[in-house]
Amino acid sequence: MSDVPFKNPGWAGNTGEFELSEDEVRGRDFVGERPKHAGHASGAPTMPYMLPEKNPEATLFEGEYQERFEKILSRYPTKRAALLPTLNLAQELRGYVSPESMDRVAELLDLAPAYVRGVATFYTMYNKRPVGRYLVQVCTNISCNLCGADDVLSAFLSDTDTELGETSEDGNFTVIEAECLAGCGFPTCVQINSEYFENVTPDEVPKILEHLKSRGTS
Amino acid sequence: MAYPYVSDREVRIISTGFGDPEQRRIDTYVDRGGYGALKKALGLEPGEVVDIVKESGLRGRGGAGFPTGVKWSFMPKEKNKPHYLICNADESEPGTFKDRELIRWDPHQLIEGCLIGAHAMGAEHVYIYCRGEFFEATQVLAKAVEDAYAKGYAGEDILGSGKTIDVTVHAGAGAYICGEETGLMNSLEGRRGQPRVKPPFPAQVGVFGMPSTINNVETLCAVPHIVTNGPDWYKEHGTEKAPGTKLFCVSGHVNKPGNYELPLGFPLAELIDDVCGGVRDGNALKAVIPGGSSVPILNAEEARACALDYDGCVEVGTMLGCASVIVMDETTDMVKQARRMVDFYAHESCGQCTPCREGSAWTAKMMRRIEEGRGTEEDLDTLMSATQEMVGTTICVLSDSVAAPVQSSIRKFRDEYLALIRRGERVGAA
Repeated sequence: MSDVPFKNPGWAGNTGEFELSEDEVRGRDFVGERPKHAGHASGAPTMPYMLPEKNPEATLFEGEYQERFEKILSRYPTKRAALLPTLNLAQELRGYVSPESMDRVAELLDLAPAYVRGVATFYTMYNKRPVGRYLVQVCTNISCNLCGADDVLSAFLSDTDTELGETSEDGNFTVIEAECLAGCGFPTCVQINSEYFENVTPDEVPKILEHLKSRGTS
Repeated sequence: MAYPYVSDREVRIISTGFGDPEQRRIDTYVDRGGYGALKKALGLEPGEVVDIVKESGLRGRGGAGFPTGVKWSFMPKEKNKPHYLICNADESEPGTFKDRELIRWDPHQLIEGCLIGAHAMGAEHVYIYCRGEFFEATQVLAKAVEDAYAKGYAGEDILGSGKTIDVTVHAGAGAYICGEETGLMNSLEGRRGQPRVKPPFPAQVGVFGMPSTINNVETLCAVPHIVTNGPDWYKEHGTEKAPGTKLFCVSGHVNKPGNYELPLGFPLAELIDDVCGGVRDGNALKAVIPGGSSVPILNAEEARACALDYDGCVEVGTMLGCASVIVMDETTDMVKQARRMVDFYAHESCGQCTPCREGSAWTAKMMRRIEEGRGTEEDLDTLMSATQEMVGTTICVLSDSVAAPVQSSIRKFRDEYLALIRRGERVGAA
């Protein structure tokens, strides 16, 4: 099932050893049938995803996303607690969290817009501006750094022809540094959208980029 | 299938599923005896379960090492409001990579541990706060939760016991500080993840203002095994004061990095030389951080003398933390690595307390200045005194974590700083 031609000897199920269909992992099947009781929620909420296809104009929320939003709401005793999952959802859909998105989320959750901005800007995973089709996050923290993460980062930057934090001209790649991704035993660890790539070395970078392009480009 | 690397020195209790994709499936897990501990626990009074865990001597695996059973016993016995159990899966300490592996390889073990904990503390809702970056692990866990609901191990009337325990998987959004328990509670409530002043302690006023307990993933994963086999069995492993096994996450310059489950008290020297196949390329050992980047660095000599348990690490002037062993060989530029760690804390400071917000940022600037060869010898004294002011002066211990790499590296590798400041010489520079 794995279509990723990189060494990941025997452990990382990150690219598909675990045969879940996309529907299963996307969480659409996770709707709890049980009624809510005493204001409490049940089951697992719908999990966010970082999608290559982004739609900055998408409505917050409608259709499937409205259902997922309602599921999230049902799982916490307060509306405020749904803020992070809701922002996750908005980012999954639109690719980044714009001030307009924050205001809309504030409206949906009966919170003050300024409060939502305060929270959204606290967390690094919310992109405050648009990112490329593939968001490449290279861990440069200590364990990866000891094993040459700086070279991997340079390789990504030069091979995509971008500056750190900028998006390549073709709109495909945004390369940023990440803090420890908890893959320290498999350095260098790189997260691209929702996926982990482990044991990445600089000479593998072109192969990874080719592979990503083969999945689709902007 | 061999998980990246295995060692015959390991005592595998919670890591038996590593490398085995079948373990994630609920049917396989149950066939292998899974959810047996839950069945047993539900047949016991909550207090009895707490006593078993207390008796086992299990200590929190998230860093502080507080006895788990004692923590559980702090929860109020009377039930006039909701109780919550929160599982801290916001693993982000640099050097640590055990929780993600525990979740993605063996999600049901964690869920079973959570359910037993919830039963013991009278909690009817478990939140598993997963780090936002763990898309894959979170999906695997969420799927496992759904399977557990479908088979009647979670939700209403669990296994016919009349107990209702809900499990919700919550994804964070990328903030190291949310691994601090009160920061995590704020984050779960939809706030900025800024730690709270204690008291009140979470067992009195926790998440949503209700009694709450927060346990690390690894702690909860050990619980089913303790309930099944009894506290005496668990105490056969490890040391008297620190019973049981611990996952050691070894990274950096060793031949075989990875997760190794070993009894507590295991000698650090043997972990590096024997279990991990020695330092890479036959290089000499220079330094070791035994517990993640928040604890003081050991030089080679101290590392050789260190036994890996809570007290053993304190004896050599460091802490076990979450047992994330970062190994550095002779080619390591200590100034650069110390600077990188400080950069991390400067980035992750929540900005609530002045010593940490200002201290971490200015420390990072000074470290960078030194690294770029523009430092002075006075800078070292300033760094020592400035970071000293950051210890114990803030709400949480992130501030103390800045002091650890700076002070220990200046103290133990002062020559390297001086060579860089005086002569512009750097280790490892070609």
